[in-house]
Amino acid sequence: MKKKVLLVDDEKSFSNLLKLNLEQTQRYEVCVVNCSEDAQAAAREFKPDIMLLDIIMPRMPGGNVVAQFEADPALKDVPIVFLTAAVQRSRVEDMDGIISGRPCLAKPASVEEIVAMIEKQTSGQAQNG
Amino acid sequence: MALRNRRVLIIEDNAMDSSLLAKMLRQGYGEFEVVRAESMADAEGQLAGEHFHTIISDLTLPDSQGLATFTRLHDAAGHSPIIVISGTDDEELALAAVREGAQDYLVKGRFDAAGLRRAIKYAIERHQIEQALQDSEQHYRHLLESITDYTYAVKLRDGVAVETKHSPTCVSVTGYTAEQYQEDPELWLRMVHPDDQAAVVEQAKRVSSGETPVALDHRLRHKNGDLRWVRNTVVPRRDEGGSAIAYDGLIRDITARKTAEEKLVKSEAFYHSLVESLPQHIIRKDLNERFTFANQKFCQLLGKPLDQIVGKTDFDFYQPDLARKYQTDDRHVMKSGRTFEAVEVNQAPGGEQRYVNVIKSPIHDLEGHVIGIQGIFWDITERMRADEDLRRTHAELRKSHAEVKAAQLQLIQAAKMESIGTLAAGVAHEVKNPLATLAMGLSYLEKSVNSTDENVRMVLSEMRAAIGRADKITRELLDFSAARQLDVQSEDLNRLLEQTLVLIRHQLNKQQIELITDFAPALPHVSIEKNQIQQVLVNLLMNSIHAMSSGGKLTVRTSKKRLTRSLHEEGSRSSTQFFLGDSVVTVEIEDTGPGIPQENLAKIFDPFFTTKPTGVGTGLGLPVSKKIVELHGGAIEIINRVEGGVRVTVMLRADKTL
Repeated sequence: MKKKVLLVDDEKSFSNLLKLNLEQTQRYEVCVVNCSEDAQAAAREFKPDIMLLDIIMPRMPGGNVVAQFEADPALKDVPIVFLTAAVQRSRVEDMDGIISGRPCLAKPASVEEIVAMIEKQTSGQAQNG
Repeated sequence: MALRNRRVLIIEDNAMDSSLLAKMLRQGYGEFEVVRAESMADAEGQLAGEHFHTIISDLTLPDSQGLATFTRLHDAAGHSPIIVISGTDDEELALAAVREGAQDYLVKGRFDAAGLRRAIKYAIERHQIEQALQDSEQHYRHLLESITDYTYAVKLRDGVAVETKHSPTCVSVTGYTAEQYQEDPELWLRMVHPDDQAAVVEQAKRVSSGETPVALDHRLRHKNGDLRWVRNTVVPRRDEGGSAIAYDGLIRDITARKTAEEKLVKSEAFYHSLVESLPQHIIRKDLNERFTFANQKFCQLLGKPLDQIVGKTDFDFYQPDLARKYQTDDRHVMKSGRTFEAVEVNQAPGGEQRYVNVIKSPIHDLEGHVIGIQGIFWDITERMRADEDLRRTHAELRKSHAEVKAAQLQLIQAAKMESIGTLAAGVAHEVKNPLATLAMGLSYLEKSVNSTDENVRMVLSEMRAAIGRADKITRELLDFSAARQLDVQSEDLNRLLEQTLVLIRHQLNKQQIELITDFAPALPHVSIEKNQIQQVLVNLLMNSIHAMSSGGKLTVRTSKKRLTRSLHEEGSRSSTQFFLGDSVVTVEIEDTGPGIPQENLAKIFDPFFTTKPTGVGTGLGLPVSKKIVELHGGAIEIINRVEGGVRVTVMLRADKTL
């Protein structure tokens, strides 16, 4: 069964291409949300195994989306990975890949890095499920 | 003496006697003109108006009796002779009147007309002689008093003075009469000033021994206490045998001359002291440029005594070019008659070259003709050097001022470069998103397209390499700016604000802006690089101040908040990393200026956007401030307040309290 990945990023072209790359692996089903305010509603419907979340977005920054998910009983356990240009790769490395308590990938990240991160964050679920 | 037209006043209260007297006088040739008075008052009235050659008066009048009658008449008559008439019983009284100055007296009934006329005639003559004598005496006395010389003669016997005679004029010089000298043999020496007595005695001794000593000037004490200077000249008198038998002395009062001489000496001493004690060099030259005088200071300068300078010219002491210059100036002064002042070079023989300030002026004789020049000069080398030092220091100061200005410009330039660097980092950050997109696209293509085509593989490989390079550059740029800018420390924002407000106090006062501060107590610390955040605060405060050019109110407030709303305005892409519920420290800066026009509000954080005139604002203040705050993980928000003016809010994450 394919893992469901919710991708929240206001950069349409980036999110579409990442979706193509992930789906090309045949291992993931990807739902793209370009408007961060729609993330919570989309997640409730899509029921993602993991959410890849940009931080700098108009209308609602990534931090607020995290707060929404944490406050939502249906979504509070969804693993969240920041995928952002706002944080530098060097800093992410300094912080052992954890920013604001969440794992983080600095843009531009390779497809391989992203896949590895998804697998790492969802491995427990797979074992459980 | 002819007795014609002699006016005679007869004063007699007895009409019969009076009439008799008048009758007697009118007999003969009518040479008398008679006026009669009956009382003293009557007589005084007559005498006040007219002159009488003779007055004949009874001493017993109704309004005056006895000797008083005579004295009153004497006062009223002035110089007219008076003959008194007495009865046979009071001849004594008449005699008393004669002693008091009446010319004669006649006893009633004992004289006839001829006797009367003779008495009058003699009275007038005697009176005239007396008058002449008196005049002569007075003249003589005046003469005596004005003579300032006297002589004295000393008789000697065996070389010892036995008798001394002073001429009468000694009184005017010494105040003592010849008789007083006669009576007091020691007086002549006693009156001599004690300091001069020995010399006077010595002179007397020498003349007594037959020598003719030189005249001696000495002082003596006048009877009235004044000190007089006299010149005492003595000459011996010898007998046929040649031995001194006497000597004659002449005392001449020379007080006036001595006083004048003393004054002159004093005056000379004064000028001498002035000229010789002044630190200036003073010289005089005649029309032929020869020195006629030089003070000691100048003599020292030349290293020559005065007598080796007087008569010489500048050419004898100075190099020819200097001497020529001095003489040219001298002649100019003598020709123009005007004072000359200059700074010139002076180099004495064997000395070093000095700068002197010189003033030259012409010398005139009593008739006003120029007869030479006098000059005064003084060394100003030290002053010139000090001036030169001052000028050099001034030039150095100007130079360092220019350097400081240049450095300042460089600093401004550096600040701009830093701003641009910061912006470049921001730009690099924005480039990462499209780069990420390109990388994604490339990844997809690499897996999808026919990988057997060498050209396609080459193109994809080149693109991958290019993306890698761009990513590397942007990362380096960001790492560079981050490494430089984030050296944070836990700081108290209230304290930093207080320090910052001190920096702008002057500007506030200047623009009459009221400052209101409202600082929250126990404000949590924030992790910031103090200098950077202070730069932001100054920038924001100055913006507010500039917005209130005609005064207003500046409110600075700090608070601790828990974030309850999103900071994100529509369309903004602020890089805030705050989450709802985060604990933040805010600084709010409110002004009462005109606010920001709506159309500019969206552009205020754009680089190089400014409403200030060229050269006043760079348009980098707000973008850089924003960048700095964002690098601290904070945010800046700028809104127009509903009540007018602008509110700027700076939010920084509060440090976790321990």
